[in-house]
Amino acid sequence: MSIEIRNIGKRFGDFVALDDINLNIPTGELVALLGPSGCGKTTLLRIIAGMESADSGQVLFAGEDATHLHARDRNVGFVFQHYALFRHMSVFENVAFGLRVKPRALRPTEADIRRRVNELLQLVQLDWLSDRYPSQLSGGQRQRIALARALAVEPRVLLLDEPFGALDTKVRKELRRWLRRLHDDMHISSVFVTHDQEEALEVADRVVVMNHGKIEQIGSPDAVYTNPASPFVYQFLGNVNVFHSRVHGTWADIGRASAGEAPGGEAMAFVRPHDIEIERFPVIGSLEATVQEVHAVGPVVRIELAHASELIEAELSRERATVLALVRGQQVWLKPRQLRVFATPEAVLEEGGSGI
Amino acid sequence: MMSAPALRRANTEPRWLRSLLLGLGLGFLFFFLALPLLAVFVEALAAGWPAYRDALSDGETRSAILLTVFVALFVLPFNVVVGVAAAWAIAKFDFRGKSLLITLIDLPFAVSPVVVGLVFLLIFGAQGLFGGWLAAHDVKVVFALPGIVIVTMFITFPFVARELIPLMQAQGKDEEEAAISLGATGWQMFRRVTLPNIRWGLLYGVILANARAMGEFGAVSVVSGHIRGETNTLPLHVEILYNEYNAVGAFASASVLALLALVTLVAKAVVEWHMRRETRMLAAELPPEKAGVVP
Amino acid sequence: MFVTAAYRRQVLPGFGLSLGCTLVYLSLLILLPLSGLAFKASNLTLGEFWAIASGERAMASYRVTFGASVLAATINAVFGLIVAWVLVRYSFPGKRAIDALVDLPFALPTAVAGITLATLYAGNGWIGKHLEPWGIKVAFTPVGIVVALTFIGLPFVVRTLQPVIEDIEPEVEEAAASLGASRLQTFTRVLLPGIFPALLTGFTLAFSRSIGEYGSVIFIAGNMPLISEITPLLIISKLEQYDVIGATALAVVMLLISFVLLLSVNALQWWAANRHSGHGGRGAGRGA
Repeated sequence: MSIEIRNIGKRFGDFVALDDINLNIPTGELVALLGPSGCGKTTLLRIIAGMESADSGQVLFAGEDATHLHARDRNVGFVFQHYALFRHMSVFENVAFGLRVKPRALRPTEADIRRRVNELLQLVQLDWLSDRYPSQLSGGQRQRIALARALAVEPRVLLLDEPFGALDTKVRKELRRWLRRLHDDMHISSVFVTHDQEEALEVADRVVVMNHGKIEQIGSPDAVYTNPASPFVYQFLGNVNVFHSRVHGTWADIGRASAGEAPGGEAMAFVRPHDIEIERFPVIGSLEATVQEVHAVGPVVRIELAHASELIEAELSRERATVLALVRGQQVWLKPRQLRVFATPEAVLEEGGSGI
Repeated sequence: MMSAPALRRANTEPRWLRSLLLGLGLGFLFFFLALPLLAVFVEALAAGWPAYRDALSDGETRSAILLTVFVALFVLPFNVVVGVAAAWAIAKFDFRGKSLLITLIDLPFAVSPVVVGLVFLLIFGAQGLFGGWLAAHDVKVVFALPGIVIVTMFITFPFVARELIPLMQAQGKDEEEAAISLGATGWQMFRRVTLPNIRWGLLYGVILANARAMGEFGAVSVVSGHIRGETNTLPLHVEILYNEYNAVGAFASASVLALLALVTLVAKAVVEWHMRRETRMLAAELPPEKAGVVP
Repeated sequence: MFVTAAYRRQVLPGFGLSLGCTLVYLSLLILLPLSGLAFKASNLTLGEFWAIASGERAMASYRVTFGASVLAATINAVFGLIVAWVLVRYSFPGKRAIDALVDLPFALPTAVAGITLATLYAGNGWIGKHLEPWGIKVAFTPVGIVVALTFIGLPFVVRTLQPVIEDIEPEVEEAAASLGASRLQTFTRVLLPGIFPALLTGFTLAFSRSIGEYGSVIFIAGNMPLISEITPLLIISKLEQYDVIGATALAVVMLLISFVLLLSVNALQWWAANRHSGHGGRGAGRGA
């Protein structure tokens, strides 16, 4: 079922959590809401679920206005960040809960409930745990039970709040792929919230990057990574070097010229470390720099360089690094393979910490 | 660097000091708590078992026990309902003036029992605000059962709410929200999710409130009128017998209350054990970085 | 956290009902009756009020009540700290039972405590008969009041301190020891500052309970006007002489003191919770 969000706004006191949000999620799509903490992504998810009411705007499910529909009537499956399993119920009863609280006329028979719960537990591959209590499960198991519980009521939409946030790296990677397969099998629309760009890029069909209560960019994982729409997105998704026209006149001016803009005003150029080419001799439009550190990290070699007392990071393949044979203190020339230029706004990116 | 055993030694008091502290602490508890408790029973049985039995089978003692039990049973349901309501509003919602409300709930603990009794005397007594109206309609509040019930309600009000507020705050509202999003009605959510989660805390509050309700002396003393066989609760009965130099009778009644106290202590310890276990369960359910915050 | 009044719709049900229920009950049972006291007292002019509240017998009763309460709370602070330390740090047989026994003063009706302590400390009582030869009279003197109030106040100090002592991380003491601190230095410089707010809170709780205590005191106090008469008893005796106005004036004094103490306890607890957390009151609460 499709979800449509129109002009949603929400404040908490003086704090603007969401500012005029518009978003369309077509049926069957898996969408990630990505952003730093405090960007409003969880608030948006809770508004879709009906857990929070918006100050303004509308939420539409399959084209029908659901803005004033109560959470219990929205038929959404919500998976909480810390799972929120009912600690006094067994795994079985947790999953059965949504079926047992249905109005008498709609409630399945005990046998049907049993069958349905067992099916779901098999689906999440935890049918052998049905008599356990939540406190006896590992984090990954709780996560899957929380999913099974949400799916029991056959929701039209599945919403997940930081679904893998509390898990360790290995379990997180497994569950990601599993969630992707599950989503594809169930044919429902899913939205999940995350602050982990790798997670969003790997799992989602579409990524919605948010910051300060606004949507910065909506696009496929590839599009938001390779073609960021704003300085924030550039910095949030992956490592990036920033060159200010004031300091590194050359590149920003080159970028501006190549973008067909007239020079003038402050500008910033963004270059990803793996888009920097290192040469041993000067070439046109290159910056002179000194090698500071060389670290071999797995398949890549990271090189820290200094240009006019500013640090620049570059990433080379092992082969290229071998050819260059860089050593500390060496003089080199840098050339960007790809760069983006943005006019420098006021107080730019003061907190858009570079994602890992 | 010191070795681990050396550190451990540095971490505990020297043997002589440990013995001294242990002796002082336990000696203090013995003289101030254990000895009085023992004395109640020794004094009650000072004139032998038959005298004790006779003292307890006395009609006025019987009616005092019945009155005390009745008052407690009448008051506790109010404590439970309002205590849960107050804790629900305070723990699960944000609103202005919340900390003021929490302070107001604690108020009955701060006010002297004698002042509490006086307050209701001023309202319902012969010269009180409603005294004339009540007399005209032949309704007795002060120096009658209703007065005793009302002051007991006042005195015991905070117990349940105080116990539940921190418990429900620690549990958060995720589970209730999950229940609602799965289609539960408010009542289904409360009965199936909230109530099981708070049952031990609720019981704990009820045990404490019950002990206070049955044992209250000062406030009840002001409004009861001490009418034997009618408005005499067990603690008041103890006072009357003691002032009549009927030591055996006074201590026999006192021993019933002391037994109540012992039952209370045991029940409290059992419930505390369950609550600690559930706190551990709660801690186990949270991810490690959050688990440390749970008290 | 954040404060907001925008509650157009709550997901969790029952906010209005539960808050309304609480406010009505609280107002009818507690706030209105207490303001009735102020209403009654307003029949007095300030001069009349002052004359009663500062009468000779009243002043003497404040001295007795406050003096005994401060003494009892101090004894409890010292021994309560020892008891709490022993219960948390040392292991000995019967510890669980002794720990449970600490709550006896909460559970034992005050009248029972009163007659028992009076009997124990009377000249022929178990304890009194050993003190009498030394010229120490406890029962029916102000000392008896201190004994009764010590009994009543003990759990407040112990129960406030126990969780705080439990929370002390052993690493802190190990660090102090490894830096060369003696055990005494570790206690006074590292542990005590951490415990102190709780100790003060426990002291204030015990003190505030003692001020209003009636049942356990009257049996052992002797109740001699000007010497061993506590303020709550003076209120009762004024009532028995049908001096309702006099009783009301004293009750207002007691009530004001209760308010002040209640607010101090709240302030102390707030201080204990916040003193090392800085002022990082970040504006917004719920973010994503």
